[in-house]
Amino acid sequence: MNTLSIRNLHASIGDKPILRGLNLDIPQGEVHAIMGKNGSGKSTLAKVMAGHPDYTVTSGDVLLNGQSILGMEPDVRARLGLFLAFQYPMEIPGVTIANFIRAAVQARLPEGEELEATEYYAKLYAKMDELSIPRAFTSRSVNEGFSGGEKKRCEVLQMAMLQPRYAVLDETDSGLDIDALKVVSSGVNALRGPEVGMLVITHYQRLLDYIVPDKVHVMAEGEIVLSGDKDLALKLEAEGYDWVTAKN
Amino acid sequence: MNTETKPDINIDRSVGDFRYDVDYAFDAGVGLTEKTIDYICDVKGDPDWVRKFRKEGYKKFLEKPMPTHWASKDLENIVFENIRYYLSQGQVPKRSWDDVPEDVKRTFERLGIPEQERKFLAGVEAQFDSEAAYSNIKEAVGKQGVIFVGSTEGLQKHPEIFKKWFGKVIPSGDNKFSALNSAVFSGGSFIYIPPGVKVSHPLQAYFRINAQNFGQFERTLIIADEGSEVTYMEGCTAPKFETATLHSAVVELVALKGAKIQYITVQNWSSNVFNLVTKRGLAHEDAEIKWIDCNIGSRLTMKYPGVVMKGRRARGEVISIALAGDGQHQDTGAKMVHAADETTSNIISKSISLGTGRSTYRGMVHIPKHLKKCKNNTECDALLINANSRTDTYPAITVRGQGHSVQHEASVSQINAEQIFYMQQRGLSEAAAMSLAVNGFVNDLVQQFPMEYSVELKRLIDLEMEGSVG
Amino acid sequence: MNIVSQHQISSDLPAWFSEQQKQAWTEFQSVPQPTRHDELWRFSNLKILDLARWHLASAPADVDALLARSRGLSDLAAKLVFANDRLILREIKNLPEGVLLLPLEEAARDHEALFERYFMKHPTLLGSAKIAALHRAQLKTGAFLYVPAGVKVEKPIELWHWSEGDHIAIFPHTLVVCEEGSSASVIDHFFSMNNEASFVAGVNDLIVKADAHLKYIAVQNWSRETTAFHLNTTGVGKNAVATSLQLNLGGRYIRTESNSRLLEEGARSVMLSINPMDADREVDQRTFQDHLAPSATSDLLYHNALDDRSRSVFSGLIKVGTAAHETDAYQKVRNLMLSDEAEANSMPGLEILADRVRCSHGATSGELNQDELFYMMARGIPPQKAAKLIVRGFFETVLRRLEEPSLEKYFGHLLDRRLALG
Repeated sequence: MNTLSIRNLHASIGDKPILRGLNLDIPQGEVHAIMGKNGSGKSTLAKVMAGHPDYTVTSGDVLLNGQSILGMEPDVRARLGLFLAFQYPMEIPGVTIANFIRAAVQARLPEGEELEATEYYAKLYAKMDELSIPRAFTSRSVNEGFSGGEKKRCEVLQMAMLQPRYAVLDETDSGLDIDALKVVSSGVNALRGPEVGMLVITHYQRLLDYIVPDKVHVMAEGEIVLSGDKDLALKLEAEGYDWVTAKN
Repeated sequence: MNTETKPDINIDRSVGDFRYDVDYAFDAGVGLTEKTIDYICDVKGDPDWVRKFRKEGYKKFLEKPMPTHWASKDLENIVFENIRYYLSQGQVPKRSWDDVPEDVKRTFERLGIPEQERKFLAGVEAQFDSEAAYSNIKEAVGKQGVIFVGSTEGLQKHPEIFKKWFGKVIPSGDNKFSALNSAVFSGGSFIYIPPGVKVSHPLQAYFRINAQNFGQFERTLIIADEGSEVTYMEGCTAPKFETATLHSAVVELVALKGAKIQYITVQNWSSNVFNLVTKRGLAHEDAEIKWIDCNIGSRLTMKYPGVVMKGRRARGEVISIALAGDGQHQDTGAKMVHAADETTSNIISKSISLGTGRSTYRGMVHIPKHLKKCKNNTECDALLINANSRTDTYPAITVRGQGHSVQHEASVSQINAEQIFYMQQRGLSEAAAMSLAVNGFVNDLVQQFPMEYSVELKRLIDLEMEGSVG
Repeated sequence: MNIVSQHQISSDLPAWFSEQQKQAWTEFQSVPQPTRHDELWRFSNLKILDLARWHLASAPADVDALLARSRGLSDLAAKLVFANDRLILREIKNLPEGVLLLPLEEAARDHEALFERYFMKHPTLLGSAKIAALHRAQLKTGAFLYVPAGVKVEKPIELWHWSEGDHIAIFPHTLVVCEEGSSASVIDHFFSMNNEASFVAGVNDLIVKADAHLKYIAVQNWSRETTAFHLNTTGVGKNAVATSLQLNLGGRYIRTESNSRLLEEGARSVMLSINPMDADREVDQRTFQDHLAPSATSDLLYHNALDDRSRSVFSGLIKVGTAAHETDAYQKVRNLMLSDEAEANSMPGLEILADRVRCSHGATSGELNQDELFYMMARGIPPQKAAKLIVRGFFETVLRRLEEPSLEKYFGHLLDRRLALG
């Protein structure tokens, strides 16, 4: 039962269908990768799972440890343990990272229970050190004026602080140079473990050299068209996507 | 940079600054009384409802104060008693240039109107003082059911359409000058485009003031029926007199469901003209009204084209270029009234103030209660050329409720000294370099004019490369 | 007896001052009431001009309770507390020598020439000349702060103005003079004791001479039945910096008129305002950035968050006079619309008569950014809390412009409390 299950998922934006019957199981403790061309629906899948209001699910289901999450508000899903690392993290003027993450941690505590501030900051600073994020960042506004690498590190920091059961990483490698990619990947790898299931969405195989997946899936036109182990990613890198779609 | 240097912006006033003597058969004399209005009604053969409409307009004109509590005090220099309110050779325009009397025809020939008509226009109306001397549309366009006549002919021959909309978009009491126009209007166009008809070439009106101490009060009403499209262009000139001339038009546009109207003005009145014009359009569901307005001439222009977006998803747009030279005041702007859900308006205004010129932007954007997803975007950019130039910006924006997006931005800038230096280093004179920079400032808006008109514009704002520093 | 029919002159004030008050009373009676055709009252609620409802205030009943609540920053240079236009506390802890912090009647009596030179020297240009005349006529006391040349007051000075009683009127006055090269921070608190209706006609004038630095923060938390006018004139000298912030937390109808005069080369004026609006409260903001000298800077940033049936009017003018070449002037008003019934009116204006000017203004009205909201919810933050955090962040961007972390933190706490954020 400890699985994030996507069952025959159909979703559209406006009248345009994007996901067309997608099936996928991510057990806790495993890292799965989804690869696919631009426009195959990868990012849509991430947003639909998180409950973005622009998308309409027309049929199918998403089950988190057996519980359907589709009717839930995005924050309720998040508190159940679903984390989405955004491809384009939002800038929120005037809201500091410290206050933002604190509000998110506080929201996970039972009603009436107050977050202990010293404990919180101790943990925050420790995680920031691991990700080589300078302390000064705590008082900066969320993502405002951050470089691409800083934004992605800040996403991983949030993931580390919120300890999700399932994490979806949407194109976390986009816009990163090789050094930033190494830092972000090692941050993600540090969070791997038997309690966490991960779905890594990427366009390039490069990221998977650093975050080695247990399984690789290829997505095309809104569904999974091929699954395999990590070698599939290498084959895709070498031969492109066309042979996959041609096969179907 | 030497702030006294003026770019060689050679506004080509010679185009309109000439005058041939003309004999007028009809003359209402000097000054405005009820008798003047009766005279106009009599010579035009107005029906009773029009006479009544004029008299009510006159009453409102007398009642309304000059709006000098917000507008220029220069308005006080208009002496209504000294103006001639109606002058014509006759009330029926000719359908052929051959029939237009020689003394009037040579004016329009010199302005190049018949030639433009042959080249790229679907129809032309040429107004000389109070009445059109010539009015015609291409046969093919007429066959589609398009009506393009003067306002008098419109109200007499097509009362069923005319009466329904006349004075409805702009009530006569909207302001002092719309009231004046309602009292003494003469000339202007009445246009009706039947459902689904897309007029591929522009219809054009040309307004010529020839007489001294004269007031021109044309009245235009354009109705684009469902799904139709039309582009209307107007140009104007007058010779420069020592005394003030008044031009006070009212233009009403109605775009029914899905229709598109584009209204283009190139205003090049001589620098003794008070140009006080009221222009507004009513856009129904999915309709679009776009005002493209270029003000180069006149002494004082006050003009704020508006769109009332009455139907869902209606769109309104104002594109405005103003050039205020020595002694000129271009007081222009836009008025956007959102009256339905998902309506969108866009205002782009660029002004240039040169020498002692003053340009003013006044804008009104209104989004009342209980609407959803309305959008407005306003951008005003002003370029100040000289130390004694002036620019003002006075927008008023009201938004009620959430879910709308309204954004106003305005900036004032000078010509970049580094740019000028760069161009000078390439061998251009300072003035020529400044002219190029000014040209660059308005270039993106000039592109919005149809090709034939952007050529015309370039001719009007002739940015001379050669020549002496002013 | 109400404030328009009864003129009461305090016996504490010197004769020369009382004489001026009599003239002001005559002026108040002769200046016509503004009408809705007056451009400076466009979109305004004219109900606030119904003055006959308000009565002169008597002495406060419970001075101890007021003093107990007059607690702001812990580390201060000095504090004056006024209640119903009477001084109830003077606490001078740590003022450098030569600095005067006096109730107005003492300043008028003991430092006549100095006080007279600066007291209400500039006409009220932004619509409330009549209210300014009433203020001048009915004034009983107020705060006068004088910082001599070169003196730096390191710690903030706090002023408190309380109103207590139903349908009473008070006339708080603050006059700050910073001489050449001096510096000071002043926090002016405006609070009601109870939730009673009251009327406030307040004036705060700031004079910042060459190379001086002044931060002035008005924390306004009048009762939700209060009608208040806060009229300001700020004069900024050569290379001096004046930063003012209005934190409008309370009140029913609040009209602020802020006139910043950039008097000499290199002067800088920063004008900030934070307005969390709800219920049927209204804020009417009139501003004037008056550039009279070259190479000066003015920078205005007003943030209004409008919930329920609340309403805002912003009318601001940047005027760059013919002598004010090389001016930098900015003006930005942002309205965050939080309900379907809220209303925002913006009239940002520019009048530019000089050359080589960098000048811009912007006015926006929009809703909560839905993508920001989603991002927060995707982190598990409930939508109501997420919305509050975004509003708080919207205000924080203004607070940061104070460029003073300790003040930023203090006012941040006030905002947290106002928005009921933990």
